[in-house]
Amino acid sequence: MTFLLRRVLVMIPTMLAIITITFFIIRLAPGGPFMSEREIPREARTALNAKYGLDEPLLVQYGRYIHNVVRLDFGPSYKFPSRAVRDIIFESLPVSLELGIYAILLALLIGIPVGSVAALKQNTVWDYAPMSLAMLGVSIPNFVLGPMLIFLFALTLRWLPPALWGPPQHKILPALTLAAIYIAYIARLTRGGMLEITRADFMRTARAKGLPEATIVTRHALRGGLLPVVSFLGPAMARAVTGSIVVEKIFAVPGVGQHFVNGAFNRDYTLVMGVVIFYAGFLILFNLVVDLAYAFLDPRVKLE
Amino acid sequence: MSRADVTIPGSGVSRAAWLTAALVIVGIAITVGVWRWVAGSEGAAGSAHFGRSAPPVGNVLRFVNGPEPETIDPGLMSGQPDGRIARAIFEGLVTPDPRTLEPIEGVASRWELADDGVTYTFHLRTDAVWTNGDRVSAHDFAWSWMRVLHPDTPARYADLFYLIRNARAYKAREIDDPAAVGIRALDEQTFEVVLETPTPYFLQLVTFYPFLPVHRTSVERYGDAWTHPEHIVTNGPFRLAMHRQNDRFRLEKFQEYWDADNVRLDAVVAYSLDDLSTMLNMYRAGMTDWNPSGYLPAEYIPYVQYYEDYRAGPFLGSYFYSMVVTRPPFDDKRVRQALALAIDREQITSFVLHNSVAAWGRIVPDGFADYPYPEPVRFDPERARQLLAEAGYAGGAGFPTIEILFNTSEDHKKIAEAIQAMWKQHLGIDVKLLNQEWASYMRTTIDREYQVARRTWIGDYVDPNTFLAILRGGEGNNRTNWSNARYDELVAAAAGELDAERRMRLLAEAEAIALDEMPFIPIYSYRTREFVAPYVRGWYPTALDTHPLKYIWFDRESSEPDMRGARR
Repeated sequence: MTFLLRRVLVMIPTMLAIITITFFIIRLAPGGPFMSEREIPREARTALNAKYGLDEPLLVQYGRYIHNVVRLDFGPSYKFPSRAVRDIIFESLPVSLELGIYAILLALLIGIPVGSVAALKQNTVWDYAPMSLAMLGVSIPNFVLGPMLIFLFALTLRWLPPALWGPPQHKILPALTLAAIYIAYIARLTRGGMLEITRADFMRTARAKGLPEATIVTRHALRGGLLPVVSFLGPAMARAVTGSIVVEKIFAVPGVGQHFVNGAFNRDYTLVMGVVIFYAGFLILFNLVVDLAYAFLDPRVKLE
Repeated sequence: MSRADVTIPGSGVSRAAWLTAALVIVGIAITVGVWRWVAGSEGAAGSAHFGRSAPPVGNVLRFVNGPEPETIDPGLMSGQPDGRIARAIFEGLVTPDPRTLEPIEGVASRWELADDGVTYTFHLRTDAVWTNGDRVSAHDFAWSWMRVLHPDTPARYADLFYLIRNARAYKAREIDDPAAVGIRALDEQTFEVVLETPTPYFLQLVTFYPFLPVHRTSVERYGDAWTHPEHIVTNGPFRLAMHRQNDRFRLEKFQEYWDADNVRLDAVVAYSLDDLSTMLNMYRAGMTDWNPSGYLPAEYIPYVQYYEDYRAGPFLGSYFYSMVVTRPPFDDKRVRQALALAIDREQITSFVLHNSVAAWGRIVPDGFADYPYPEPVRFDPERARQLLAEAGYAGGAGFPTIEILFNTSEDHKKIAEAIQAMWKQHLGIDVKLLNQEWASYMRTTIDREYQVARRTWIGDYVDPNTFLAILRGGEGNNRTNWSNARYDELVAAAAGELDAERRMRLLAEAEAIALDEMPFIPIYSYRTREFVAPYVRGWYPTALDTHPLKYIWFDRESSEPDMRGARR
């Protein structure tokens, strides 16, 4: 309990530091939120700046922002004036979350069996073929893989739609594209973990006791062999959710990643701040979950 | 690394089987895919369309609207995606004709211009209603227009209203009395506007979205949130049914709309996305019926231009390079002329842009039938070298290295590279390229912290004035520090000129001055390039790429069934 409490308390200065750094860095970028190819009339720009308090000193703006964030008020978006940043994030975060969860589930579902088989049949075709594919999976960026999958499954075979977020058939290609790199990582990590475990003393003991092979693999080898996968899973989940920007763009998925990128381009200060806060919270949270899961899986790790 | 010698016979069989099955499926998919692709390209003659040729089941128009609209509040918006939604759900006094964009009846069934040339009286129809049942009255328009002009309203297009009497003064807080502004509801059905000076394109302007009405009580009750689907009250042919950011707007036919009998679509779905390839994929897969202009990269043109559903036409937009004329060496007119004369526009439009645009040596783009276009700037390397020599840089000797600024885009980069090579080849001068992302580029051009910058100007209304007004001295969109008293005089004189022919001549005279002084180097005149499915009717090519959705319908009789993807 003290462990949890301490971790939660550490979150506060971490978040404050992140908010402060982001707040000032984004304002260093040239330009501002209210610019267009067609010049905005001076009167309109004055009205805009006054409305959003951008005419006040930066430190006053900062103070007010912190004051509001504490009450979970992230302000209105500058680019989308009729929408609150909180609403934008609450609308788009579940989409990114869903996409990220599918990708990680897909990665586990494919990566663990493939990695296990590769470890158990080391140096056979069952090892080489999947591991080469995994190498490919790590190397092909998703902005290449996505269009390839679209070309094949959507435009040529016409089995799946090429874009948009809707009924389940819309979710297959983006999830697969996002999953590719995690499938590859998880397969390799599983293989590595399993190889190490199969050489451990307790495995020999298990065999000596005459346990059935299936029990040895599932109860002893997998449990220990999956530790590296578990520690990878925290950052992977956070990355899948926060790093789906490219996939969201290619497949027109209305997730939070697009807001992050477009927000930065549009100098939509409040929107970028809001997304950063959520991303940071997400990463911290998942690292915590991993630490807890680790303690559960590996008896050697203790949370003091 | 030592290998583990443990082999576990008998385990993993089901996984192996699973893996084999997966590999077989992927293998089959790839084989079938490649075969279909090869077969498809053989039979390309059979498919005349890039997208689907058969209409969808429902009477629902689906199109990609471009990036997420910033707002659907007509008074505040400034972008084309925003405008497409607003024009479908709101209706102004006059609306653009779907073919000519000439003003035709909207909420006003008739209107007249008084003999003074500045007083317009609009007579509103009695059967125009808001979606909450209220009647659309002259007071709605008066309130909506005054809202745009209120000093606290951040309306991007407020300056278009400045030709109304005292509008600018009121916006700038120079006068406090709203009654002094030339906007007035005489009664429920009569709306009067008084202009500062006679303006022949005023009615044109009123068809533009900033002049659309909004529903006063909704705006006052919900503030910024009044545009949310659960609050919004509209008066156009369609009503807002659903909105998800970065995804779509769903509009449904408004049954009480006064002209509902002539609206043949049941609904409209406008997708919000900004990736150009994704848009084309969706059109190709039959998920959209229309892929509007502006969303087709030039490099695609050679592959798609022969499909029957590809449409290209003139578009009132100019692409040019502007220079800060107060900064050496650009302070010398001869240098600016030399740079302009050393650009081979034909080469850029044909080789770099695959004829998706038209080479154009003027500021006012192609497409104004009544406008006596002045002599264009042509490609003349001989004369260019001569002018550069006269300016003291014979053969480019002593000429400083200059920089071309452009915002991130493959096409802008290719054009800049081509011009870099031309200036090097014909003038012997060294040019660097500077790429900035959008907001930085905007800041740099607004602050005039550049030497040469790529610029675009799209017409707000169908009149040469929309292009020439930006070069007036002190005008915010000028961004060159160039000003010329005679030019300003001519543009001002044209604004007050009632005789159409004389007015056009004054404008052309002004443009001739600009083409001689050359603060802008014209490069090309835009063309629309878009995909419209063959069954879409009521869609016409227009100079501003405006397509009122009210008139669109699907032809189910004459379009042949889509055989692509069917079993052979």
